[in-house]
Amino acid sequence: MEYILHLLILISLYIILAQSLSLVAGFAGMISLAHAGFYGIGAYTTAILSLHFHLPFLVTLLIALLISGLLSLIVSAIALRTVEDYFIICTLGIQVIIFSLMNNWMSLTQGPLGLPGIPSISFFGLSLDNKLSFLLLCLFFVSLTFFFLKNLTTSSFGTILKALSEDEIFTQSLGKNVYKTKIITFTIGAMLASIPGVLYAHYISYIDPTSFTVDESIFILSIVIIGGMRNLWGSVFAAAFLLLLPEALRFIGLPNSIAANLRQIIYGIILVAMMFKYSKGFVVNAR
Amino acid sequence: MIFDINIQALININFCSILKLLFAMSFMMIYVSTKIFSITHAAVITLGAYFTYMISMQAHFPIWLAIPLAIVLATAVGIGTELGIYKPLRKLGATPLIMLIASLGLYVVLQNCISILWGDDTKSIRTWEVKVGNEFFGAYITDIQIIIIAVSLTLFVLCLLFLHYSKMGKQIQAVSSNEELANIFGINSDKVILWSFGIGSALGSIAGILVSLDTDMTPTMGFNLLLYGIVAMIIGGVGSYWGLVGGALLLATAQHLSAYYIDSKWMDAVAYIILILFLLWKPLGFSGRRLKKVEL
Repeated sequence: MEYILHLLILISLYIILAQSLSLVAGFAGMISLAHAGFYGIGAYTTAILSLHFHLPFLVTLLIALLISGLLSLIVSAIALRTVEDYFIICTLGIQVIIFSLMNNWMSLTQGPLGLPGIPSISFFGLSLDNKLSFLLLCLFFVSLTFFFLKNLTTSSFGTILKALSEDEIFTQSLGKNVYKTKIITFTIGAMLASIPGVLYAHYISYIDPTSFTVDESIFILSIVIIGGMRNLWGSVFAAAFLLLLPEALRFIGLPNSIAANLRQIIYGIILVAMMFKYSKGFVVNAR
Repeated sequence: MIFDINIQALININFCSILKLLFAMSFMMIYVSTKIFSITHAAVITLGAYFTYMISMQAHFPIWLAIPLAIVLATAVGIGTELGIYKPLRKLGATPLIMLIASLGLYVVLQNCISILWGDDTKSIRTWEVKVGNEFFGAYITDIQIIIIAVSLTLFVLCLLFLHYSKMGKQIQAVSSNEELANIFGINSDKVILWSFGIGSALGSIAGILVSLDTDMTPTMGFNLLLYGIVAMIIGGVGSYWGLVGGALLLATAQHLSAYYIDSKWMDAVAYIILILFLLWKPLGFSGRRLKKVEL
């Protein structure tokens, strides 16, 4: 039972990650490989603040949102001067820079040793240290993100996003500021990605840089692509599928080490297969 | 601080930049003619090293036989990806972005296959004893490093000669600059692309083997090596082979200076900071060729 709750918590964290990337990569057409970096920034911000300054959860969450928002604002203003495959390489670079900051800034992050002993979340003296209450908190944030993204993407802002991902120059000719819209979207996506980071740090109570690598970014991107790019419900199912896959492989008797690799092989194959489906571009299929 | 010229640092910089040059060239061979940012190339680089390990250490063949066989096998994988994945996708009219994600998926598959087959720990194909390198004006350089420098430079010159003087090399250049026009002139672009995949994969696997001779191998080694190559290519200017030399030199110099003055652990970050700075202020690289990817 405990283990099932653990899986459900992980799935809900990945749903937030995937949906926030779906806004950036699916709706606005900016395929980003830096998402795990912002996830990590959320985790590290809350870890450092609650370890050194004993700040409560809501305060660290707000500061984490602010920091990842500020950082993504700067970073996207630079990266968005490029498009398509150059943009992906650029975000890959950002991911590597964030990772090497986490891994090498010893005085702040303790590098590869990680940060142990992060306290669990408590509200008004009520501690959420059992898994069920934590799952409820996660579900609250999942529904909040879902609601927010659903409204954002069906609003007029969402329409501009769809327009610019389909034809950037045409959207510009209608008097929309494409560059600014893209920066705003990227920043919202990165801010949302820091929420699961904050939750993850408090849940696991120990973080190290290996949870926030390029592979993690590729994994989040695969969830979004398998979920259907612009499909928020699709991200939910894809996250559940990809996280339960290794459990299923273990269930049929594969050893742990191979199951992990096999999961990646399977999602790699699905990724390639999806590209055949999307070969005309993501936009055409989404219509 | 006075910039003190240190022979050892100079040798290290040259050694690294020559290696990066080889990676950048093997990648650009594929990129210019197909416009595919083939991340799968990283797996081909790694496979070159692991096939050598398999043939020489596990099947106990002599190393002089293992290396050519490994190059052939890894090249076959590279050509296989073109025939099995990229070509069908191209026929479906896939954009470069779709190709990039497909290559990323394929890289994940191949890298995990390597992990399952050979394990995640470091493997070595060195059977000889590690010894002190040759002294050279007060600095040290190992035999392997001299071999790597010689092989890489020879391959670079051979590539340039091939591209400029052979029929296939000229066709590759034609397809690189305008595929449609090349087709009109009766060039079979599928065949040309297959050749550039073959040459690029062979160069990549050779580079992978050379690195593994110097610093052993892990299943993920190809990714970073390839990305250094890509950074060198972008800052050198895509499409210019002499720009590559400048890009590789600049990248290696900056990385070594940062290692010398700050700490070697920041070398990865420095590479990407340089890339981003270039994309900001000089998006076309040294050579300044027109590139539609960076605009606004």
